[in-house]
Amino acid sequence: MTQPAANCPNCGAKIVFRWSSSVQTVCEFCKSILVRTDVDLKKVGQVADLPPDSSPIQINTEGKYGNKAFVVVGRILYEYDQGGWNEWHVMMNDGTSAWLSDAQSEYALSWSSKAQNLPAVAQVHVGQQFTWSDQRYTVSVITPAHYRGVEGELPFQYWDKTDVTFVDLRTETGKFATLDYSDPEAALYLGEFVEFDDLKLKNLRSFEGW
Amino acid sequence: MFRKFYLLYGFLTLGTAAFGQYRGWSLDTVNQLKNIPKSIRDNPGSYRSVYGGYHHYTGGK
Amino acid sequence: MGAGAPPLSGPPKPQAKALNCPKCGAAITLRSFGQAETVVCGSCHSILDAKDPNLAILQQFEIKTSAIRPLIPLGTRGKLRGTDYEVIGFERRSTKVDGITYCWHEYVLFNPYKGIRYLSEYNGHWNDISICKQLPMADGSSANYLGEIYKHFQTSDADTDFVLGEFPWQVRVGEQAAVTDYVHPPRVLSSEKLDKEVTWSIGEYMYGREVWDAFRLPGAPPQPTGVYENQPSPVTTNVTGVWVTFTAFAVFLLALMAGFDMRAKKEPVLHETYQYHRAESKGETSFVTDVFELTGHTSTVEVKTFAPVSNHWIYLNYALINQDTGQAWDFGREVSYYSGYDSDGSWTEGKRNDAVVIPSVPPGHYYLRIEPEADPSLPNIAYTVDVTHDVPVFGIYGIAFLALLVPVVIISFRAYTFERSRWSESDHPPMELSNMSSSSGDEE
Repeated sequence: MTQPAANCPNCGAKIVFRWSSSVQTVCEFCKSILVRTDVDLKKVGQVADLPPDSSPIQINTEGKYGNKAFVVVGRILYEYDQGGWNEWHVMMNDGTSAWLSDAQSEYALSWSSKAQNLPAVAQVHVGQQFTWSDQRYTVSVITPAHYRGVEGELPFQYWDKTDVTFVDLRTETGKFATLDYSDPEAALYLGEFVEFDDLKLKNLRSFEGW
Repeated sequence: MFRKFYLLYGFLTLGTAAFGQYRGWSLDTVNQLKNIPKSIRDNPGSYRSVYGGYHHYTGGK
Repeated sequence: MGAGAPPLSGPPKPQAKALNCPKCGAAITLRSFGQAETVVCGSCHSILDAKDPNLAILQQFEIKTSAIRPLIPLGTRGKLRGTDYEVIGFERRSTKVDGITYCWHEYVLFNPYKGIRYLSEYNGHWNDISICKQLPMADGSSANYLGEIYKHFQTSDADTDFVLGEFPWQVRVGEQAAVTDYVHPPRVLSSEKLDKEVTWSIGEYMYGREVWDAFRLPGAPPQPTGVYENQPSPVTTNVTGVWVTFTAFAVFLLALMAGFDMRAKKEPVLHETYQYHRAESKGETSFVTDVFELTGHTSTVEVKTFAPVSNHWIYLNYALINQDTGQAWDFGREVSYYSGYDSDGSWTEGKRNDAVVIPSVPPGHYYLRIEPEADPSLPNIAYTVDVTHDVPVFGIYGIAFLALLVPVVIISFRAYTFERSRWSESDHPPMELSNMSSSSGDEE
């Protein structure tokens, strides 16, 4: 695992990248959003204080998906009318990256898909069906949300988004998909729901009294 | 649990019924006695059925 | 992380929050680390916004009856399904069916890693409930969830009457939800519709004793009354399976009957007709028959008596005697037949035939000693004595059949009455009970 080291251009603190393909990270000390260029790190923005949240997962939490181990390296926080949720960026032990979605104790793991011809956000409605990778997905909920903050390492640049729409899809077999409309072009993630116990998470957040 | 008990119970019941048939059991009540004197063939009146009911001395001296 | 790296400082380490009620100043504790939407002040009964640092007041309610106390105090921890949960909220809900109000209680349980669960309690019956992760498929009379079929039990409106503690939704006293329950004992599938949002939950029946042990509560749990919708039946056996076993035994019994019937020799060994004369009975009426031989194995001997009596009786004192061993079987048989006319028509009583089976007679040479008696008004009569060796005794099969049947009937009856009790409380009561009002309503 390569761990290139650098220094925060804003406050000088040491920055370590756990994932070699990370594009963006957040300096834990001064909360500057740093983007990796060929030469060095560039500050592009600042993260406001993250809201208190109740997720038991934190950066550096480790877990297992099937027989592959992973570690949590970053996250994006979103808020919507009924609360918030986290998209944790995890690094699998084979070097690939995946997303662990964490909302009201419901967890799903998904990977970026390179599917083409994704619909525009205005064309999608609840109940609509799509077929990707030989699976039939049905739109279950469309969530207008807004970006609330980032933490840790991400595989792309992502900050200061305002309103983003997420379209969640499910299959009858427990598979899960998301159409992410953060950018004008949709991004598709395919994966499945997972049980908290099956992830065998270690190094979780500790809660006082528990 | 009940199933096992019932299976065992059923086999016992059937076994008892088969055994009873084999040994010649019957449902009627019949008094069985021993040592009837052989002389009854000559004197049928010397044995009274009423003797079957009493198993203790009831006569006079 | 290398040396010199700053410690991870994400959001502050979660801890239970101690705040004060904005209305009355009483202490409020938030135990759910931000998962609660609302929290209730136990002193002034204000419902506050748990996500607002200032705890804005959302609703104020009055309690109509005093002393509504949760059986499991808020803050108690207990172990369910291997995980510790803390009771953070409590509510009392009620519904009205046929003019009678039924109340029940729900407890909100919390674990920071596993999230939220619920416990419900009604008349001493408990349920361990969680929100469904997958959507069940329902069609009104039944629902399908995770491969199990649930039958519709009841649809009613549930009112929230009293709340305490923290809730993960915007609870209000007086809110009404349309609740539909589908059952597949020991589980119950519930759908709740509140303000156009439908939530499905799955519950599993728990006995009071299990709840008391899980939360280590003092004393005894409340005694359950009646049968609850998803209460497991005390008859855990598969009743149909037992009937199948019974049928197999019955077939076996028939085979035994046929088999022994074929084996039975049914050999006639004596057939004689004798005359009874009253005039001669001054002397000795006893006599002995000819000797006959019983061959083969120990078995039954049937003695049949026939006399063409008409409004008379005769009584024969029989003794079957073994010529060689002196063993005797003693029995008396009556043959009587009466008939006549009365206001209801003609009647008859008795039979002209009698049969008796002597058990377990060993082979050998035998004769009958017969001592006849007759109705004093009968001057004379001829009677026929038939002795048959080795006859099957069908009564034994009758007893065996009943013995096989009785346990099956008892267990079926128990299962049946339990299910009747269960469904008598539902929207689909068994036929005769549909006009009666439900029996186990109570007001606290």
